[in-house]
Amino acid sequence: MTAKTAIGDMPTPAVEASNVRKAFGGVVALDGANFSAASGEVHALVGENGAGKSTLIKIIGGRLHADAGEVRIAGRKVVLSGPDAAHRLGAWTVFQELTLLTWMTVAENLFLGHEIRNSLGLIARGKLFSKAEQVLADVGIFHIDPRALVEDISLAERQLIEIVRAITQNPQILLLDEPTSSLVERETVWLFEQIRRLCKNGTSVVFTSHRWNEIRTIADRITVFRNGKDVGTFTELGEEEAVTLMTGTRVDVFFPPLPQAPQSQPALSVRELSGPRIKSVSFDLYKGEVLGMGGLAGHGHREVFFSLFGAEPHSAERIEMSGKPVRIRNPRGAVRQRIALVPEDRKTEGLLLPLSVRNNLTLTILRQLSRFGLVRVGEERRLAQTLVERLKIRARDLFVAVGALSGGNQQKVLLGRWLLAASDVLLLYDVTRGVDVATKHEIYELVLGLAREGHGILFYSSDAEELAHLCHRVLVMREGRIAAVLSQPGITAEQIVAAAMREHATV
Amino acid sequence: MFARLFHSAEARRILYAYIAALALFIIGQIVRPGFLSPASVESVLLIASFVGLVAAGQTFVILIGGIDLSVPWVLNAAAILLATSSLGENARTAQALLITLGMGALVGLANGVGIAFLGVPAVVMTLAANGIMEGLTLGLSGGMTCESCASYAPPLVQALTHSKFLGIPSALWLWFAITLLVSIALSATRFGRHTYAIGTNARASFLAGVNVTATTVILYMLSGIFSALAGIMLVSFGGQAALGMGDPYLFQSIAAVVIGGVYILGGRGHYIGSVAGAICLVTLISVLLALNMPEYGRNIIYGVIILLLLLFYGREEEES
Repeated sequence: MTAKTAIGDMPTPAVEASNVRKAFGGVVALDGANFSAASGEVHALVGENGAGKSTLIKIIGGRLHADAGEVRIAGRKVVLSGPDAAHRLGAWTVFQELTLLTWMTVAENLFLGHEIRNSLGLIARGKLFSKAEQVLADVGIFHIDPRALVEDISLAERQLIEIVRAITQNPQILLLDEPTSSLVERETVWLFEQIRRLCKNGTSVVFTSHRWNEIRTIADRITVFRNGKDVGTFTELGEEEAVTLMTGTRVDVFFPPLPQAPQSQPALSVRELSGPRIKSVSFDLYKGEVLGMGGLAGHGHREVFFSLFGAEPHSAERIEMSGKPVRIRNPRGAVRQRIALVPEDRKTEGLLLPLSVRNNLTLTILRQLSRFGLVRVGEERRLAQTLVERLKIRARDLFVAVGALSGGNQQKVLLGRWLLAASDVLLLYDVTRGVDVATKHEIYELVLGLAREGHGILFYSSDAEELAHLCHRVLVMREGRIAAVLSQPGITAEQIVAAAMREHATV
Repeated sequence: MFARLFHSAEARRILYAYIAALALFIIGQIVRPGFLSPASVESVLLIASFVGLVAAGQTFVILIGGIDLSVPWVLNAAAILLATSSLGENARTAQALLITLGMGALVGLANGVGIAFLGVPAVVMTLAANGIMEGLTLGLSGGMTCESCASYAPPLVQALTHSKFLGIPSALWLWFAITLLVSIALSATRFGRHTYAIGTNARASFLAGVNVTATTVILYMLSGIFSALAGIMLVSFGGQAALGMGDPYLFQSIAAVVIGGVYILGGRGHYIGSVAGAICLVTLISVLLALNMPEYGRNIIYGVIILLLLLFYGREEEES
């Protein structure tokens, strides 16, 4: 491993970011990040989910504004007002989430924003398709019909069109955010050819990928990100070293000790759960167990959680709650079976922000709390109050809007709702995201406390360290399947990240 | 309870609406002495009660971020249905009332099913329902108004608006009772909690186990029933039904809800506010009439008021 953090005699970098900071609400995505890429170079950004790679790419691409720090393109400090401004400076981005207009043709999408016009200034529809065909042929794509509607072509083909749209602009800087995540190997090979061709002409290519062999194949240099900071730039880097750098050792979080091994009775058994993005997922979650679920974002965790909660279409050979077969058609059914879900985005999918702490806490148990449809307010207040005290929710009173509480306290309200509903199985999806360290610790204690009481807890986290310390076992998902099952003692964050990144996990 | 109530922005809006109503009564008195006489106040409130009833249904659906544009012809159909099915006979009153309110519920059910189960946008669904009801009403009545078909509301129904109890018209007692019931339904029941929850965030409510579809359907049914009830009260008041009598009530019901401080995108507001809004609006109309303002002028003024209120309330929303 040869670390080269100093860029001594290099010419002016094509793109440079220094001390960039960006926060979304209370969540810091970039915390003084530095990065620079030279002309004709392929520069890979690696890091865990949420390390800040995508945010940095969005800032350079003009989609986001940095809160502090500067971005220089070809040595000049720039303030980008939008993607348009970035395009004028030669910086083009291909995004992870697809941005094509699905009800338009491939050709129309290719020329969107710089349409071919005739002498009257109207769009020259006749030339549109022949020109598009030519553009596609120039980059070696013959299998996509420019007349096809985008909604009729495959995800991979859409990604290719997205890439073609950017590379035909002769970009000075090409930013690719996980361009290969939906591509098959042949298409990836094609992409790398295009990248090499552009580099030969002096384009600086910045890209992110979670596939290590791709990074090894194409990248000239690698910058590792962790927690919104760059932790080093390398010309050569082994996978293991990279994983260590990406996960780091976090001294600021202290994990409580894991409780006794769980009971032998499963709280939830899942057999052959399948759905749009999940394939044959089977597992047992025991009473008193914290079962971790890890892996890279977009590999089916969310779908597993939402399917088990009845909020996503799915099929399953068998789902059992405490040995009793159940069918879960919708969240109401899940609540009846005493399954709880704390979703990823508590602000849009979990809480009713303008409503009071009390109303948020008791929403799912109003049936038990009502007589003839009338809510028994005294009883309701008593229950809500006990919970506020038990979870140490810091709120002025029960009637303050949940939106006014801190992130950690909001999360506690959401957990509290499901405790009131006496849930046996808790599906916790990234519950510590965007929560400060002190509250994180409280949530850890709470989760382990619930396990001790006999609840079964399925725990997804984008933070591998958390999984390694908080879970009795960890299921690592990859491409909709369970790729590895890790058991304590001795689970490490490195193991989890490695299992998630390996093509065929053998752990 | 009340101290807390008046700290919030929505409570302030309700207060503003009542203050505005009071101010308009005083202005009326200045413009035309006698405006504040008991008889005059009584008739203003009576007319406000018709708007208020429609606004009750409108409040329900606006609280979940919906809207009911089928008000005009549900109301009109109800008025005609009551007059024709009762044939002006007291003996048939009960069944006529049942048929009429049932019709309102049925249209509401169709609206609710279209919106909650089939995913048709509320604006489109209820606008279509209004068109269908207009067609049905015109077709089945043969374009004849009941002024020409000689059907009157039964005396029992007419008594609703023309009799008094303890010196106050029965219709106002009815409105008062409904205000109480609707307020209790919204603030003290599971159904009310679910309504506010859905209006705040339907997805989060669904994920909390709230039956979003059923609640939505019931809310639209209530709106249909209230439109029909307003139709009944109007026939009671005028004795006969006429084609086009429901037309003003769409705009006025939405205006009353907005003036009363119900958040147009849902989740916040109280019927007690819409009541103030209805009184405000009808008082304003009476004052403008007293000023001999022609209809076009009045319409411009309503439009401007709604716009200003929405602008003002929108501003307030951003600040908080």
